[in-house]
Amino acid sequence: MKVTYKTIGILVVASFVVGIGAAELSGLWKTESTKEPVTIKEGEFAGMPNPSDIRGSYTWSDVAKAFGFDVNLALKAFGASDPLVKVNTLESIYEGASLPEGAEIGTDSVRLFVSLLTGLPHTSEESTILPFSAIEVLRAEGKASSDLIEEAAGRAYKPGAAGEAATAAPAASVADSAADARPAAVVSSIAPAAAKTTATAEPAAAQAVTTPVPSSSVAQASTTTTVHTPSPTKTGVEGTGEGAAPGTITGKTTFKEIKAWGLSEEQIKSVTGGEIGNDIAAIRDWVVSKGLSFSEIKAKLQEMLDAR
Amino acid sequence: MKVKTARLGKKGSRKARRIVQIVFFIIVAVTATGGALKEKGITIPIIPEASLHSICPFGGVVSIWQFLNVGTMVKKVHESSFVLAGIALVLALLFGPVICGWVCPFGTFQEWLAALGRKIFRKKYNTFMPAKLDKVLRYLRYLVLAWVSYMTVVTGKLVFQDYDPYFTLFNLWTGEVAITGYIALALVIVLSLFVERPFCKYACPYGAVLGVFNLFRIFGIKRNAPTCISCKACDKACPMNIKVSASKVVRNHQCISCLECTSEAACPVPATVEMLALPGQVKDTFGQKSTKSDSKAIGGDK
Ligand code: SF4
Repeated sequence: MKVTYKTIGILVVASFVVGIGAAELSGLWKTESTKEPVTIKEGEFAGMPNPSDIRGSYTWSDVAKAFGFDVNLALKAFGASDPLVKVNTLESIYEGASLPEGAEIGTDSVRLFVSLLTGLPHTSEESTILPFSAIEVLRAEGKASSDLIEEAAGRAYKPGAAGEAATAAPAASVADSAADARPAAVVSSIAPAAAKTTATAEPAAAQAVTTPVPSSSVAQASTTTTVHTPSPTKTGVEGTGEGAAPGTITGKTTFKEIKAWGLSEEQIKSVTGGEIGNDIAAIRDWVVSKGLSFSEIKAKLQEMLDAR
Repeated sequence: MKVKTARLGKKGSRKARRIVQIVFFIIVAVTATGGALKEKGITIPIIPEASLHSICPFGGVVSIWQFLNVGTMVKKVHESSFVLAGIALVLALLFGPVICGWVCPFGTFQEWLAALGRKIFRKKYNTFMPAKLDKVLRYLRYLVLAWVSYMTVVTGKLVFQDYDPYFTLFNLWTGEVAITGYIALALVIVLSLFVERPFCKYACPYGAVLGVFNLFRIFGIKRNAPTCISCKACDKACPMNIKVSASKVVRNHQCISCLECTSEAACPVPATVEMLALPGQVKDTFGQKSTKSDSKAIGGDK
């Protein structure tokens, strides 16, 4: 059989037309990510959308629709006006703002906001903070515990405050929420049981945080974890990737790193349900892709690490 | 018999490739522009909108590892890339890298520059590269492929974007291009005036992937030695500088299935160089042993 110019020309065009057409019909032709976050697979919130899976390519309206709240709340919270603009524009909006060093208002701030608004779990990056306008919305509408919201308020950015995050939260609530923390760590929980655990903190540590912590240092080295598990992440200065304390699991920690810190494959599998991601995969990405709760798995792995 | 030069005559058949190339170039340019405008919040009715990454099959190739291991795609890559990579795979199994020779808009762009280079240097065009250097550089694209694959697996991001002249060409105005991308594009433009398809020959990681299919494609370029008059018109016509006249079956890893060497285009003798089914034929077509020049050539047939 001889293949001519004409034959190849027709076959090439036909392959694309038929291939793309078939993919379109079967729903495989997707040129952008779906605007529906993966659902939480286990635990109290199973079946609910996972705030950790919010992508920068979602618009405000996508986020509001996926999590079932009024888009105006998000717009008001972040000072945005167009519901059809992508949330990743936040970074450029706040680029010129004099945020505390190392602090960031970006897509992860939206995840944190949604988590506090809906009461769904999410572990945010250590550098993530919210604008103060978001705190006002959360205080009025947030389903998360007021402790958590006030904790976020303690690190929030108030425009016009000369680059300082507004420590607007009452001192008592900051002390409560961070009671078990080593200096500058903010770890808390939605569940009352977890809050109780939080309260059984080492007095020395509690005292250390009761004194107002300079907001910028809080912003630099803390992670707000909104977990529903009764065993919240242990105390400690939470960091992620660069600048994180070795042995502290964060959103960027890979399987290779926790192995290097001393956890065996079996120990990891005992927490992740018998499976383990590739060495260089970030634990959070892998866990989210499996529909598991990163907050829970992180807490368990961290417990193992701390026990060593 | 008077031998026509490779670039003259038989325009009718060759037109088919030109048309297909132009159609794909326009589709990609319009779609990528629509996608970039959408990113900026501008929507133009009728114009399809998709990022260049989502309509590039190479994104599907570099996402395979992450998809199988983590279940997610590399950032900016979507399911559409898998679909396109699948189509390209089937076509490559059958006809070799037709994507390079018929579809890739960046290959087309380089061919347009080649037309200009040919006008400037005439017969000297595409003969400047020293053979020894050329031979070594032809393997560079496999190194690029290895580096891109490794970095994409490690970072989960499309690391090649910052160095990709193809991405740069269609995103010149978007502000998304790194300075290294502009340098790469400028380099390709200048080189294309001397060498045909320099990016395809030396640096394209996707060309490296598809090139491998030349070794076992079902339909391939055959030269019928008994009717061949050794005019070497096929060699002169080949944009990839493959010595078709020294081959019985072109199994060179750089062939892009453009058919320029065939009796439909460059070859003056009917039914002498053709694309035919190659059942079980890996090296020889007409029962002859490889010539000395075969073994010297890249891929055994240059
Ligand atoms: S050998 Fe023939 S088909 Fe292959 S690239 Fe050269 S001219 Fe095109």
